[in-house]
Amino acid sequence: MNHMRKEYIFRSKWLWILIALGNFLLIIPWSSHAQEKRVHEIIIADSKGDWGYPNPFRHYPRGPGYVRMSWVFDTLVWKDQDGFIPALARKWAYDSQNQAFVFDLQEGVTWHDGTPFTAEDVAFTIQYYMKHPYQWVPMDAIADVNVIGSYRVKITLARPFAAFLTYVGGTMPIIPKHIWENVEDPKKYDDPKVYIGTGPYRFMDFDKAKGNYLYEAFDQYYQGVPKVERLIYVKTGNPMISLNTGKADLVNIEPEMAEGLERKGMKVIKDARGWNKKLMINHRIEPFCHKEFRQALAYAIDQQELIDKAHLGFGSPASHGLVSPDHEYYNPNTPTYPHDPEKVREILQSMGYVSGPSGYFEKNGKPLQVELLASNITAAGSSVPDRDGEIMKKQLQAVGIQVDLINMEQATTDGRVKKWEFQMAISGHGGLLGDAMVLGSLIDPDASAGSVNSARYGANQRLLDLVRAQVREMDEEKRKAMVYECQEIYADEIPAIPLYYPDSMSAYNPQKGVNWFYTKGGLAIGVPIAQNKMALID
Amino acid sequence: MKRKKIFKTQLGIAATFCLAAILMIYVSYALPRFLPGDFVTAMYAGSEVTLSPEQEADLRNYFNENQGFGEYLFKLLRLDWGYSYAFFTPVSVLFFEALPWTLLLLGSAYLLSFGIGFILGVETAWRRKGPWEKGLVGGMMVLEGIPEMITGVVLLLVFAFHLGWFPAAGADTAYAEIYFWEWILDVGHHLTLPLVTLLIAYIPGNFLLARNSMSMVIKAPFIITARAKGLPPRRIRYAHAARNVLLPLMTRFGLRFAFMVTGALIVERIYAYPGVGTLLFNAIQVRDLPVIQWVVLVSSLMVLLIILSLEWVYRFIDPRIGQAG
Repeated sequence: MNHMRKEYIFRSKWLWILIALGNFLLIIPWSSHAQEKRVHEIIIADSKGDWGYPNPFRHYPRGPGYVRMSWVFDTLVWKDQDGFIPALARKWAYDSQNQAFVFDLQEGVTWHDGTPFTAEDVAFTIQYYMKHPYQWVPMDAIADVNVIGSYRVKITLARPFAAFLTYVGGTMPIIPKHIWENVEDPKKYDDPKVYIGTGPYRFMDFDKAKGNYLYEAFDQYYQGVPKVERLIYVKTGNPMISLNTGKADLVNIEPEMAEGLERKGMKVIKDARGWNKKLMINHRIEPFCHKEFRQALAYAIDQQELIDKAHLGFGSPASHGLVSPDHEYYNPNTPTYPHDPEKVREILQSMGYVSGPSGYFEKNGKPLQVELLASNITAAGSSVPDRDGEIMKKQLQAVGIQVDLINMEQATTDGRVKKWEFQMAISGHGGLLGDAMVLGSLIDPDASAGSVNSARYGANQRLLDLVRAQVREMDEEKRKAMVYECQEIYADEIPAIPLYYPDSMSAYNPQKGVNWFYTKGGLAIGVPIAQNKMALID
Repeated sequence: MKRKKIFKTQLGIAATFCLAAILMIYVSYALPRFLPGDFVTAMYAGSEVTLSPEQEADLRNYFNENQGFGEYLFKLLRLDWGYSYAFFTPVSVLFFEALPWTLLLLGSAYLLSFGIGFILGVETAWRRKGPWEKGLVGGMMVLEGIPEMITGVVLLLVFAFHLGWFPAAGADTAYAEIYFWEWILDVGHHLTLPLVTLLIAYIPGNFLLARNSMSMVIKAPFIITARAKGLPPRRIRYAHAARNVLLPLMTRFGLRFAFMVTGALIVERIYAYPGVGTLLFNAIQVRDLPVIQWVVLVSSLMVLLIILSLEWVYRFIDPRIGQAG
């Protein structure tokens, strides 16, 4: 009987209907899932908000400003977590005989207004930046640009320039000739057309009062349709709360928050060591002009104690040779200055200092007293209150150097450093993961006269020669050897003392289906921000 | 004869205010220039870009930071307020984009704290020595001592982070695709925490002032007369007594109002709420001279204008002042 019933059911047309219905139900979620795969919006929050309008002439000259512009404007090449990848140029080659780079451009690319992109736009961009400088790109490295065909362009260098791909190919935003050719003052030119690029996102709005930005996907993007329809930047007083309450999907975080956020299902990513806190020294005046004295300072500073006490242990000691240990040109044999109070005393005594009755060193009856300026700069353009100044004061006083600590607002400190109206100042900067060309802007007094991050140190001719020559060396191995030597000399001369690399982290909500990452060598010339446009392109 | 005297007095006041205004214009020009540092240094100091001496000179030249007072005054009179160095946008555009949010936040905070402080003060003074008075005075004294920064952070942590009832940042949901009425609700939702923070900061002062003034007034003979006439208590409280409390409260209101431009800076920072305070703060950070000058000018002229208006308001509230003039 039972057997008969089973057979009946199996043969029943109702069973087939049920199976068909089941299959249909199975298919529906899949097809709707396919439609939903595209994320409607992603919100990125930061605590500053405004970083200028996102075009090459109006964005703030800092990393977050560049990144906001990079969604709209593409470069010839770009970088992901592994290094260079094609962008507007699908391939490139260096012609050493003619000292020129030849780029083969992508075909079928259109600007956001539908106009086709050609080699003429690339040539125009270079000519335009020569007339109206875009400070991120060293235009003096380029001698000439020639359009070889609609999609091929040759850029002749003024001199061998090893950092060309990073500083020009991977940083220079290409602008449309048909829009900019008649613009005389690009900074003040205000028209929606100046936000037309070839990038994956079209710029829609910047609310200056609120510090919010809106971008919409450019579906005709040549590298594929962007995963997210709307990209929004918002300003927040507290990025961690915004991420936790679902008001943001990607934020920079303080390292101590990482564990809690991971417990809540957020993904935390950590950047390589590319930003350092540094002690600037006025090596033009006594006693800082003596190499031995600067070395004594380096021995007096306990890098690990700074990290432990001022940053809860979230950081790592900096290489005294400037180049980050995560950089491929890092020299592991760079001299170091382990904390050694006895050595400090030895050096100071050899310089004629004697221990006075108060416990501090003296020379000719005058106490050894130094002025230390402290401010609160940290990675990614932010500012966090820390106690570096207090701790360093304690360390120096412990070895017999009296310290007059002055806490100041950042711009005031920078202003004094720039004019050499200081003795020592705690400052900081990034760019340490980018091309080794950065050494020039951190050491060479001619290349960085106006920089507040540069040691502007010309006392060691060999160091200067190496810093300048390595940029012109197109042979990678030879260049690497030069950079190695630079680090050794720098660490010995120690014109400014690298202190530590604070941990730099971002957290994001993985449920949005976007895997954010830090770029190898930083974005463009070394921006340490985890907002690479390639994260939104499949 | 008397009219002539009044006219002369008025003319004197007007002349004094004009002189003060000119002085303020000079102060707005000169004061921001005393700030150490400059725009190009401040903007490029934390930058990944290092300027060559030529590039730096070109930028300085472009921004024309060395504008003289004559040029400044001339441009001011031509209503040419200049461009922000940082945004390359007319300063007035930046200011008027930020102003509505300041007006909304601080305007509501001032008016509500004025109203609530006044009514609570009057009512508490009327019910002297009751448990309400003791409790309120004690409570308000404590609140008066808590800075906005503490209240703001506590409210943020409790109501935005832990309970999630209110948003933690901004004036509205950025680029929300919603109807107008939904947007109004959204703005109200975002306004709540910053507004409550300010109310907690402002109400105690108004309350204590109103209560103290009222305590003095209700002892006056005219109140006893009013009571003897058998007038309803509410009428005695508000039409007879509380009117006299308005005078010190108005002074306080006026002076607070004058500091409206930057008054909510701390709250704006905690809640990332837009406003003129934030505009000025950011401008100072990057030494955006035209913006600093404009905000200093407008806020100092506002102080003058408020003091001038208070002169007139006093006459309206207290006829004795007018007669004395």
